[in-house]
Amino acid sequence: MNFCKGVNRLNKQELMQLEKLLEQVQKPARYIGGEMNAVEKDWDKAEATFAFCFPDTYDIAMSHLGMKILYHLINEREDALCERICMPAADMADLMREKNVPLFSLESRHALNHFDIVGFTLQYEMSFTNILEMLDLGRIPVYAKDRQDIFPIIVAGGPCAFNPEPLAPFIDAFMIGDGEEVMHELIDVIRDGKKQGLSKMDILRTLAKVEGVYVPVLYDAAYNEDGTLSSFTPNDTAAPAVVKKRVVKDLSAASYPTSIPVPYTEIVHDRMVLEIMRGCTRGCRFCQAGMLYRPVRERSMDRLLELADALQKSTGYEEMSLSSLSSGDFTCLPQLISELMNRYKEKRVSVSLPSMRIDNIVKQSLEETQKVKKSGLTLAPEAGTQRLRDVINKGVTEEDLIRAVTDAFESGWSSVKLYFMMGLPTETDEDLQGIGDLARKVVRAYYAMPKEKWAKGVMVTCSASVFVPKPFTPFQWAAQDTIETVHEKQAALRQYLKQKCVNFKWHESHLSMLEACIARGDRRIGDVIYTAWKLGCRLDGWNEHFKYEKWLEAFEKCHLDPAFYAYRERPYEELLPWQFIDAGVSQEYLKKENEKAKAAAITPDCRHGCNGCGLQKWHVCDFVENPPLKGKPHRAEVFD
Amino acid sequence: MKMLVIFEKSERLRHIGHLDLMRAMQRALRRSGLPIAFSQGFNPHVLLNFAAPLSVGMPGKREIMEVPLSKGVCEGDFKKMLSAALPKDLPCIAVRSVDDRHPAPMASLTAATYSVQFESLPENFSETLHRFMAQTEIPAIRKTKTGMKPCDIRPMIHETLLEGNTLYMTLSLCEKATCKPDLFLQSLFEFAGQERPAALITRLQLLGGEAPGFMPLEML
Repeated sequence: MNFCKGVNRLNKQELMQLEKLLEQVQKPARYIGGEMNAVEKDWDKAEATFAFCFPDTYDIAMSHLGMKILYHLINEREDALCERICMPAADMADLMREKNVPLFSLESRHALNHFDIVGFTLQYEMSFTNILEMLDLGRIPVYAKDRQDIFPIIVAGGPCAFNPEPLAPFIDAFMIGDGEEVMHELIDVIRDGKKQGLSKMDILRTLAKVEGVYVPVLYDAAYNEDGTLSSFTPNDTAAPAVVKKRVVKDLSAASYPTSIPVPYTEIVHDRMVLEIMRGCTRGCRFCQAGMLYRPVRERSMDRLLELADALQKSTGYEEMSLSSLSSGDFTCLPQLISELMNRYKEKRVSVSLPSMRIDNIVKQSLEETQKVKKSGLTLAPEAGTQRLRDVINKGVTEEDLIRAVTDAFESGWSSVKLYFMMGLPTETDEDLQGIGDLARKVVRAYYAMPKEKWAKGVMVTCSASVFVPKPFTPFQWAAQDTIETVHEKQAALRQYLKQKCVNFKWHESHLSMLEACIARGDRRIGDVIYTAWKLGCRLDGWNEHFKYEKWLEAFEKCHLDPAFYAYRERPYEELLPWQFIDAGVSQEYLKKENEKAKAAAITPDCRHGCNGCGLQKWHVCDFVENPPLKGKPHRAEVFD
Repeated sequence: MKMLVIFEKSERLRHIGHLDLMRAMQRALRRSGLPIAFSQGFNPHVLLNFAAPLSVGMPGKREIMEVPLSKGVCEGDFKKMLSAALPKDLPCIAVRSVDDRHPAPMASLTAATYSVQFESLPENFSETLHRFMAQTEIPAIRKTKTGMKPCDIRPMIHETLLEGNTLYMTLSLCEKATCKPDLFLQSLFEFAGQERPAALITRLQLLGGEAPGFMPLEML
């Protein structure tokens, strides 16, 4: 296999060009690297070099926790090094192409194609064209079939890898599930293959045997006349018929960064992040993360405090954010917060708590966390009526919301953001009116306080995104609302939210439609992504760069219909493109949940007793053995 | 007690803006474990004052900031602890402790020395420079807080020296009279009637005192 050996960083001419480009582009600080805690290792001593590629710009990439975990984990190895590569903004990408400067790493300015392994993290479907753009800027052929025996091996992981098919034509191997363990095994295989001079195919066949790794070239997909998938089978004995996701059993024992690069330039979330827990037991039916990251695993208090100290010392950050899908469910949350507040009061470090659920926002937590600095409050009722919240199994009530905002207002907040989704299965006009009613009640809750507590007045921002059905959720079979319906609903919602002190923000419906196509797409969608990219699509997640017409043109050129992917309700019998992946949660459970949704029946939090989602077969879930708390309905806990 | 810190903003970091540099220094001070002082209020931040902001795109060889301290620390310990907390492209060169009444570096600043590394220079440039400097008056338009103002920049240019393709110069840098290197170069090449070649401008040293007796600012 033709791994590049002894190649150095960008050559002198390229480096000089780069210096000139940096003088011409916006925010050049995104391309310079050299941050505190950035790891610059010796290339001559590394047996495997890994380019961690984030398919969006630096300011977004550097806000992402997964990258920090894996960057640290790979660089902890003596035999490997990991460097970061981000998607350049449009101005930089154009200039690099024009002036012949290849995409390079932030640390040592090696070109992308000098690495042994190029790994993409898949966080968002609409960043997929950026992957092609980055490969191309890095002088790597984008189609895997055009890289038969050439350098680097292109891998990908992250939540969107749970339906890897749209990217199957471009990626050599996917890692499904938690990355902490499988990453080491993948690097070992590639390092050894490189040492032994194996062919790329042999390396890929060895990779396919690693649990949690999917090598698309070893599988064949066939289609029925109506366009649905007829079969999906391995074409090689090395490839398993079912690819099982990886699960890190003990989060406290898992690798976690004790130092992270501290950017010079401002990024979206410029703070240290402490992942307190992975997974969520709530079972909201629209939520892909809630299903993919099961089972729930908490980090121990001791480990968290140790990590917090190390991070605080190594970064000097002034803010620490506690991260998880539902931080209020963390068993020792109040103790953790007060311990952190105590430790860092002198050092003026504030603690922030995103992802709090309405039903467990403890007034004390609110007050504790704002002793040092007051941060914004965002709540997510998701739907406007109790019926629809039951359909999606959100499990919060209007009383929860009003109590939460009242607590917040009394603690001094005067602006809240409310997140909603529109286009949820079974949604009617009544549900949209319900959003307007909720907003009104929140404003009223503010003015229900004694007058002396009113500050400048209240501001309620309602944000409504368009529902996108995702794989491995009970709504994976559901049809998305058509763009026309979404527009009608948005217009109606605008009317319902025309209120004093209320602000309405809505999402681009075209983008959500394409997101739905890709999220539940099959292999053929890969050609659409390629065609769209060829037509000039990139940075699709950025309003100013999103070109809807070009995407439609791409679908047409590939003889595929977006409606087939986005607007079609799939029958249970249909073979789904991602069905060969075992995400732990069983298809039977998802069907059962989908049926319960239709009846607006709720499923309780499985902390109070196993609901049999499928994870129990792996014996990785702590809650299975717990005796169910009988007779305790979901909503009751909310009123406790 | 305050500490004057002389540090370098290396070439790699020349695209970092002033506010970003300030935040980087504040975080370095937080990492250092030094007894730093915080501002009051809801969003307390680390107190520090820079002698003069550096333009985006310009490295600085001996930049100066003043760090108020809540407790006494000796210079050696301070330098050691801060150095350990700084990224390698932002090294601490020297420190000097001064008492609280010591004037802020910004107040004593009068001029700075720069180097301009040209990619190439037109022929007879040395002679052009000589003729330029021989003028008794150099009218130019200066950008000030209140707008564009015509002025004579000749008194703000104190010294020039050409060595190969590198031009060294000392220019006024204080609130009342600042001649930015960019303005100087613009006037010079307008005078020469030549296109300005690409160049890397570096601020070498911040100065205090009066011409011709300028002193390094940190020694005042």
